[in-house]
Amino acid sequence: MISRRSFLKGVSGAVAAAGAIHPLLNWAAEDAPVVLPGEDGLIVRSARFLDLEMPPEFFDSWITPVPHFFVRNHMHEPSTLDAETWELKVSGEVEKPLTLKFADLVRMEPHSVTNTLECAGNGRAFQRPQVPGVQWQKGAVGTTRFSGPRLQDILQRAGVKPTGKHVMFRGLDEVPGKVPPFIRSIPIEKASDGDTLIAMRMNGEALTRHHGFPARALVPGWIGAASCKWLSEIKVLDKEYDGNFMKPGYRMPNHPLKPGDPLNLEDTHPLTALNVKSVMVGPADDWTSHSRTIHIHGAAWAGEADIVKVEVSTDAGATWQAAQLGRDHAKYAWRLWSHNWKAPKAGDYTILSRATDSQGRIQPETAEWNPSGYLYNAFDQVEIHVQG
Amino acid sequence: MCKASFRFVVFAVAVLAICCLPLLHAQSPELPAGPVQAKVTTACTECHESRIIMQQRLTKGAWTKEVDKMMKWGALVDPADRDSFIEYLSTNFPPDKAPEQMPRVAGAKKH
Repeated sequence: MISRRSFLKGVSGAVAAAGAIHPLLNWAAEDAPVVLPGEDGLIVRSARFLDLEMPPEFFDSWITPVPHFFVRNHMHEPSTLDAETWELKVSGEVEKPLTLKFADLVRMEPHSVTNTLECAGNGRAFQRPQVPGVQWQKGAVGTTRFSGPRLQDILQRAGVKPTGKHVMFRGLDEVPGKVPPFIRSIPIEKASDGDTLIAMRMNGEALTRHHGFPARALVPGWIGAASCKWLSEIKVLDKEYDGNFMKPGYRMPNHPLKPGDPLNLEDTHPLTALNVKSVMVGPADDWTSHSRTIHIHGAAWAGEADIVKVEVSTDAGATWQAAQLGRDHAKYAWRLWSHNWKAPKAGDYTILSRATDSQGRIQPETAEWNPSGYLYNAFDQVEIHVQG
Repeated sequence: MCKASFRFVVFAVAVLAICCLPLLHAQSPELPAGPVQAKVTTACTECHESRIIMQQRLTKGAWTKEVDKMMKWGALVDPADRDSFIEYLSTNFPPDKAPEQMPRVAGAKKH
């Protein structure tokens, strides 16, 4: 016969043992943090497929540490990734098809690009009326230094035929059900640009599994989906790749649409470079300040263009003041910005930010509506309460 | 069964209960109760977790497009249940519902 005391002793020992398995318990409560080795403090939009968003407080660094860098997976990550057996096939409209090993890529001359990578759906949660998809707010974006051989060097080795007009990327993502594979293509001009890479490193370290180990495409200034992860195949095509993630996925209407207007796919174009955009990361929305001195700050980026100006309005758009741009800058990388403002009196204020780029594009008051909420870039806005 | 081995079984079962069940629950939170909750859970979470559904705020028309797309992509939905799925999703995740609160990965820096 087992006594109540023995039973309780067994259970209490189990509680202690379970407590020792702390990471597992961190999954337990709905609002408890999730433990994912290599990732730190990110917002879990989805644990399967893995979609992690950078929270606003991590925008304070010009270079985003890899554990703070957003993760966007369309499918299951590859179940096995082994640099020893991994191969990258290069085929299609080329004179000499290639099969490259990890060591072959390591031996090629590396090039580095500091790039702001942003998911095309970043900001989708702010789109009205709401649209389907991962409900990213501000942080499906980050800036890191990507390094690896230039794609143009690989294409040169294979010898692109005059018929080669587009370059297709295929990764090792594992596709569930009858979901179409995640395959996309970019035009040969962008593929041949000296800054388009087969990236093997982020911030000097080997790519992590969530970011595409052992190698990913890096198409600088373009939507994140162009930079295919876990790369296994590069194929030169005579036309744009015809598949779900090129069409109907990742396309914008050629002419502005109103919500509810039918989308004619023949009147759309594939998404390429990012929009001009600023986000405010401080003060937070609905923040109460006990001081009238307010530090307004954030980040701004513009894909292939440079940020030339960020402006802040503290009177809901009636007047605008130039913010100070951060010292750090690079082609394709965001600029941090800040503005110190003294509120004239206690009260509620609407603060806005807007960016202007070197192509003359100005962040609009309202983002161009589209059925998937791509490239959302309306003025950023917070409401604050000033006391004192 | 001797005292020691029973204590071990209690210990092992309790460890499993404490660690694994909440783990599975947290990975895929339960969808709201409803007539097709079990069928929606089975059909949808075969490929992705329930948070993907729970963060959507869509009209009935938009849910219809999503259900049809997922059925085309292999979600195992009895065609007789299609309308019930759409009704369930559009009732539980409509545009005017407050946004879903999402958890963090451990280690978040505080403001």
